[in-house]
Amino acid sequence: MKEVLKVGVSGVRGIVGESFSPQAATEFAQAFGAMVGRGPVVVGRDTRTTGAMIQKAVIAGLQSVGCQPLLAGVVPTPTVLILTKELQARGGIAITASHNPAQWNALKFIGDNALFLNEMRAEELIQIYHGQDFPLVDESAIPEVVNIEAPMAGHYRAIKDYVDTDTIRSKRFKVAIDCCNGVGAVHSVDFLKNVLNCEVVSVLDQPTGAFEREPEPTPESLSLLCETIKQEKCVIGFAQDPDGDRLALVDENGVPLGEDFTLTLGIQQVLASHEQGPIAVNLSSGKTVDAVTEPTGNQVTRTKIGEINVSETMLAIGAVAGGESNGGLIIPAVHACRDSYVSMAIILEMLAETGKSISALKAAVPEFHIVKDKIKVSSEASLKILRTVRQKYQNEKINLLDGVHVDFGDSWIHARRSNTEPVIRVMAEAPTQEKAEKLAKELRDIVTAE
Amino acid sequence: MKKIRLSSFGLRGFAGDTLTPRAIIDFASAYATYIQGGKVVVGHDTRYSSPMVYSAMLSGLLNAGCDVIDLGICPTPFIQFAVRHYGAAGGLSASGGHNEAGWNSLILIDSDGGMLDPHSGQNVLDIFHSKDFTKKDWQGMGTITQSDTFKSAYFEAMQSFINVDAIRAAKLTVLADPLGGSGVPYMDAFAQCLGIHLIPINGNATGYLAREAEPRPRSAMQMASIIPHLKGDAGFLFCSDMVRMSLVTENSEPKSEEYTFALLAQHVLSKQKGCVVTNCCTSRMIDDIVAKYDGQLVKSKVGQSYVLTTLADEQGIIGGEGNGSVVIPNWGPSFDGFIMMALIIEAMVENKVTLSQLIDRLPSHYHIAKRNVPCESNLGYRAIEQIGKIWRADGHTTIDQQDGLRIDFEDHWIHVRNSRTENIVRIISEAKDKNTAEKEADKVIRVLENLV
Repeated sequence: MKEVLKVGVSGVRGIVGESFSPQAATEFAQAFGAMVGRGPVVVGRDTRTTGAMIQKAVIAGLQSVGCQPLLAGVVPTPTVLILTKELQARGGIAITASHNPAQWNALKFIGDNALFLNEMRAEELIQIYHGQDFPLVDESAIPEVVNIEAPMAGHYRAIKDYVDTDTIRSKRFKVAIDCCNGVGAVHSVDFLKNVLNCEVVSVLDQPTGAFEREPEPTPESLSLLCETIKQEKCVIGFAQDPDGDRLALVDENGVPLGEDFTLTLGIQQVLASHEQGPIAVNLSSGKTVDAVTEPTGNQVTRTKIGEINVSETMLAIGAVAGGESNGGLIIPAVHACRDSYVSMAIILEMLAETGKSISALKAAVPEFHIVKDKIKVSSEASLKILRTVRQKYQNEKINLLDGVHVDFGDSWIHARRSNTEPVIRVMAEAPTQEKAEKLAKELRDIVTAE
Repeated sequence: MKKIRLSSFGLRGFAGDTLTPRAIIDFASAYATYIQGGKVVVGHDTRYSSPMVYSAMLSGLLNAGCDVIDLGICPTPFIQFAVRHYGAAGGLSASGGHNEAGWNSLILIDSDGGMLDPHSGQNVLDIFHSKDFTKKDWQGMGTITQSDTFKSAYFEAMQSFINVDAIRAAKLTVLADPLGGSGVPYMDAFAQCLGIHLIPINGNATGYLAREAEPRPRSAMQMASIIPHLKGDAGFLFCSDMVRMSLVTENSEPKSEEYTFALLAQHVLSKQKGCVVTNCCTSRMIDDIVAKYDGQLVKSKVGQSYVLTTLADEQGIIGGEGNGSVVIPNWGPSFDGFIMMALIIEAMVENKVTLSQLIDRLPSHYHIAKRNVPCESNLGYRAIEQIGKIWRADGHTTIDQQDGLRIDFEDHWIHVRNSRTENIVRIISEAKDKNTAEKEADKVIRVLENLV
């Protein structure tokens, strides 16, 4: 099937040269400007080769409806959100396809609450876009573009206010970082050296936008980083995604921890060393989160999939930490969004304060095994299948926020429709690999039987 | 009807109305598709809408894989010069030019630095309508490079083209009014190049139009009132992008923009015999000058790209239009306000006369009345057709129909034409005396106003 432009809650994305055009970008920027009203709008982008082109189209669209583009340049996505708050802007647009491959690009929209648009506001935006009646301003009301000086300063300040950077600085850790040729290639070495006083070995550190590994920081894609850690004898390795919101960890032996451990260890450190309070993670996040939270007497709340759903729940319940198991740790005291920079700082703080190695910290967390799979199913059939799954497990502890999630105490399963592909995603987690496989098979059999 | 003009010359639209980023991206994409990628030189003027137009334009060019040389704020004739300087495949200028506030346009430039010829422009328009644009993937995106090396090359070329030594020796003071437009950042370099004392009026870059954008007597009041106090030897008014120019004499007399071409034609023909090209509604002063110097005169349709095409066909030595724009092929295929200004100064200095004396030397003088009737463009064509019928019924058998309608009498002529760039019908009437010129124009206007 030919790729079409995907317009949804998480923004608008497509393949440049195929489905994503400057025409679409400029009209979405106009629709966004119409929604938030005349005033400043922060614009930032990642290193994709199509970013400059899309940014020009976004700037023109914003200006045409009287919004003043405040350009942050090439910055991490969390920085765009933080700038939106810091500069009291009407909103923000992050030009990034996050973990999608290099040929993709996307617009992600940030409201005046400095969070991504939620489902309702995203619907409003899409309606304005479809209406195609944008409130163009007169020539004399077209605002000038402003370049933001030192765009990272506020972000780093927020991290320094929260994390004990003095202790980290005193350790002079030797760390390795894999920037995935993304925004990290512009900022991360500077951050680790100058904010956290680390000795830094970097790989994929040219901001080319031509990603030299899979953009998702999954264990299989980090071999270069793992080798580098072994050769250079680093205490830890960090791997970012192209727009710097997600982070994966690699231990001092060059073994990836799995992306879910960024979330688990981050939560553990917040509860151990910062503050007590509830935790919120999405439905697909693993049991290790509960394992590190329960001993502290705090509650774990599970939310619908999608970053904004986690962020909003966290703010609603006053969560002190949370996020997604894909390496997206959220610490609301810094900002209620996924942020690989505060993640790096909090993990290094944990190393500094505990004096333990990263492998030892992982080993101290009870072991769970996750099995993930996806099954090709037409969009129509998927609804029926999920109803069958629900019936099958009706006597268990079921959560229907997003697909069907069944909690068996020390294990769980989750089946849901993908937002981006015609598939049903199946997950199972249990204390042993064997049990996880068994649960997953059970679930898979129900899905494929239909 | 909406305020938009799409033609083979480019796209003209009104900010807040038809000048949408979408239309601009589409138009830039159509142009990029036509030239099949490559290096494209771009610049813009200082209108408030220009940065928006410019951003949209660049995204279209980058998406089609064009490597953009970004000159920033830059007059259209400089962009044209730079196209040759950088050996580019073409150029685009985002500029309001002579149009009133609110308007802006994309002007299409050919690889030789001239305007895209009407036939090629039509191809761009066809692609624009088809919406079938070249688009590249992430590995084929165009690039942006900032450059200003063209600037020194330009003024070096001017130094060898103009009699700079004579001008320096004359120690002149001139007033120049670039209307806060794209000429502003280059005024100092121009003054240095010629060794003149240049006093700018409206010399801060701004989108605010302190006067009418078209250089002509009624927009020359500021300059006329101060030129004697500043002991200026000549005054020059320009539109926002340095394409059109009119003059104010040292005696505070604002001259019709028709004099710009007349004086330059006289200056060029006095040195070299050859063919002159003008459009079909320019002052008879040109006819008389060409006759005096025994040259050849060829008339084209109205519009820069028609004049340029005819100049190339006839191998002419100078071309121009009555709106104050002149092109000298030896310099380049651009209507260039800076070279026009330099050549007027050169003519004064070489002939050792004041500007008013230079004007007195012209073989003839006329009064020209230029009037507009606002009119939806589609209605304009019909109205002009009606005028033709009325004229024929009155017994005028020789109506020139090259572009609009023109009838010639012994001592006056009148021309009616639907504008290609604005929603107006233009009436031009010229006679030996003011009374006849105005009276004849009024007659046509009364008929037109009944028709539209």
